[in-house]
Amino acid sequence: MAKMIDSLLQGFRLHRLNRLRDQRSFLENYLPILVKAIRDREARRTALWNERAEAALRGPAILADIATPALAAEKQAALAKIEERYRWRFKALAQSKKRALERSADPAVETTFAHRAEELESRKRQTLTKCALRFETPLERSQSDLAAAKEAYRLKSEAVQAKAEKRLTLEKAKADRSVAAKTASYESKIALLGNKIEAVRGVLIARRSADADSMMPEDVLLSVRNLSMRFGGLLAVDNLSFDVRKGEIFGLIGPNGAGKTTIFNCITRFYRATAGEMLYRKNAVEVIRLNDYPVHDIIRQGIVRTFQNVELVWELSILDNLLVAAHTVYRTGFFGQLFHTPKLRREEEVMRAKAFSVLNTLGLLPYAFAIPYGLPYGILKKIELARTLMAHPRLIILDEPAAGLNDKETEELAVLIKKIRDDYHATIFLVEHDMGLVMDVCDTICAISFGKKLALGTPAEIQADKLVRSAYLGEES
Amino acid sequence: MTTLRLSFDRIRKQLASIARHPYFGFLAFGSILVVLRLLAIGGVIPNSLMKSLVITMIYAIIALGFSLLLGYGGLASLGTAGFVGLGTYFIGHFSGTLGYPFAATLLISLLGAIVLGAIVGFISLRIEGMYLAIITLGLSEILREVFKSFTAFTNGVNGLGFRDFALFGLPVSDTAVDFIVIFVFILIILGTLNIIKSPTGRALLAMKNSDSAAQSMGIGLMKYRLLAFILATIYAVIGGLLYMMDQQFSIPTTWSLDFSLNILAAVVVGGAQSITGIILGTFMIFGLNMTVLKEIAFFREYPDATWIVSGLLIILITMFYPGGLIRLIQAIRFWLVKTGKKLKRKWRIHRYGEDD
Repeated sequence: MAKMIDSLLQGFRLHRLNRLRDQRSFLENYLPILVKAIRDREARRTALWNERAEAALRGPAILADIATPALAAEKQAALAKIEERYRWRFKALAQSKKRALERSADPAVETTFAHRAEELESRKRQTLTKCALRFETPLERSQSDLAAAKEAYRLKSEAVQAKAEKRLTLEKAKADRSVAAKTASYESKIALLGNKIEAVRGVLIARRSADADSMMPEDVLLSVRNLSMRFGGLLAVDNLSFDVRKGEIFGLIGPNGAGKTTIFNCITRFYRATAGEMLYRKNAVEVIRLNDYPVHDIIRQGIVRTFQNVELVWELSILDNLLVAAHTVYRTGFFGQLFHTPKLRREEEVMRAKAFSVLNTLGLLPYAFAIPYGLPYGILKKIELARTLMAHPRLIILDEPAAGLNDKETEELAVLIKKIRDDYHATIFLVEHDMGLVMDVCDTICAISFGKKLALGTPAEIQADKLVRSAYLGEES
Repeated sequence: MTTLRLSFDRIRKQLASIARHPYFGFLAFGSILVVLRLLAIGGVIPNSLMKSLVITMIYAIIALGFSLLLGYGGLASLGTAGFVGLGTYFIGHFSGTLGYPFAATLLISLLGAIVLGAIVGFISLRIEGMYLAIITLGLSEILREVFKSFTAFTNGVNGLGFRDFALFGLPVSDTAVDFIVIFVFILIILGTLNIIKSPTGRALLAMKNSDSAAQSMGIGLMKYRLLAFILATIYAVIGGLLYMMDQQFSIPTTWSLDFSLNILAAVVVGGAQSITGIILGTFMIFGLNMTVLKEIAFFREYPDATWIVSGLLIILITMFYPGGLIRLIQAIRFWLVKTGKKLKRKWRIHRYGEDD
């Protein structure tokens, strides 16, 4: 009885811990987005004030013949625009001349067109002068007038500058203040949550029963014990046991039909194992039996898988596909979604930022808004990989990640798998036919044939193993 | 002068950002409908046209619910008619015969919709595809028989009338009902938009694409299938309530397979995933003969010939634009842009010569 109450309490504490962690990670992820939004606003407003100051000075600058660099550039641009316009007009003239000559070889045509070209030339010159005049001092102004205008312009420009500067410092101060306030409040909240998390964790660890450790050593993440899977008369997996340790890359190899994908499907609960159990260390205090969980709850335990044949949502963009994979991370309920509450919007922003960072890691950024239809197979495989990273994975199960990839892509994949293991602190469990890839990336390999274990060890040991060689090459030993 | 131009630029930018908001188009559409209704009061456009637009809107609400089911959830159902009929009888019986206040009727209807949707949703966990369609068809026929024989509730084959509708103690005129329909229509559109742009909409799409991938990403089939059916049923029942307010009469023969098939056709013809497409599709199936074709002398003489036109349009659109009317519109827009560019290029060559 007391034990039951204890385990119940532990369950509550775990739930609380998870909630607190969720809240903390949300705050941590949302803070940079918020700061960026404040800074963007500041930049927008700064640009606006600058624009206004410039606009206020433009009129007097023309009047006072003070050639500011901005004004000079503007004049150049205006003249170039006129030049361009006349270039097209000349082209049009040449074209109509060509057509007229095609119609009749009359010498009068030549003279008419020469006349028209001259006219156009003179009009162009006129326009250019007029335009240049707009930027220059009217000539009839007397020297004293000019001096007065210059003085007035100087005063006005100083005033405008001072005003703009004041505005800008105000804006900056406002943004800084806002950023500081937000950061402080978020950080204090995060710290508070951190304290709470530590407290709950402390209690959890202190009250931890010895059961978990007795079931499974501390450094093992997944332990498959005496797993059997029978389809009618076919024994696809036969009394198989192996352990996947935390932080390693574990490879499962075997000839076609050896039952590798069946094992994956048993672990992710797509199949109900006929016998045996799968233990999984969910966290420091909890070891769970995966046999007790329905298939859609597996991801909530931190186990994410990919599929042998690419299974994406074909109607959604790559970014949205990644957001689908983050489905379990959302905390907004149905009514929050129906009314698109600010909470949902903030969550979406955090998720999008995360999705972009994942896409960046995998080099998929150019495809973020593309629809998966018609993308190359290597990219689709990478998207599947990207999807696994969205929901805080602890164990990533890859079903033939290199199938259908060329040699170069496979090499990239090997680098990527190691990078994912290191960056996301995840354990990787993969099935693969490409021996080069397996031997390159895996720390431990388990070789199976017809559902039975042949050997388990480091790549070198597996390569030297006689049973494995005979299963693959049919060698008689 | 320049300052003025700057502020104009800013206002234009802000207006553009408002216009880009996903709600904007639909809110503008709603305002146009309100203006049309006001014009009908003023006698500028005929009242009968407005009546057919209002009934089309009611059908569009039902079609939107169905699109969540078919276009997003990938679940086929032929039971729409039964659910809509149930909605009409809910309001006809509780608000009409028994005189309950409207809020109570609404609550009863929503609860009824949720229960019924959940039942069908549970069935859909076991049975999929065509078989699910047949089962829902059976359910709809059962409901129709219930409408026929359960006379205390539905007044049987004679049909149930519904008059003197009052909302919060105030009598509601026909004109007011039209405004209510427009308001609810726009609300439903915005709600649907929110749902399909949120994790729920994406989860439904994921489920439609691949059950196993959806499950491996933590999308429980039970939850989302039930949700899809409950939503579709709620939309259908709300459509039924509005139908009864607008038509003031409901008879079991209306709620037959024809009705469900028409809704299905509207969704498929319109483009199962686009709200605009579904509104267009509903207009094509239901509204076209009531508004446009009726004005042509030939169809006034042979009213049944309008169905031939609808049928032909369905065949043509599904043949050439399997993605629905929305694809046709996209194609037209694309063609216009392309032709515009081509014409411009031609003109340039004519005016300025080949090179450059």
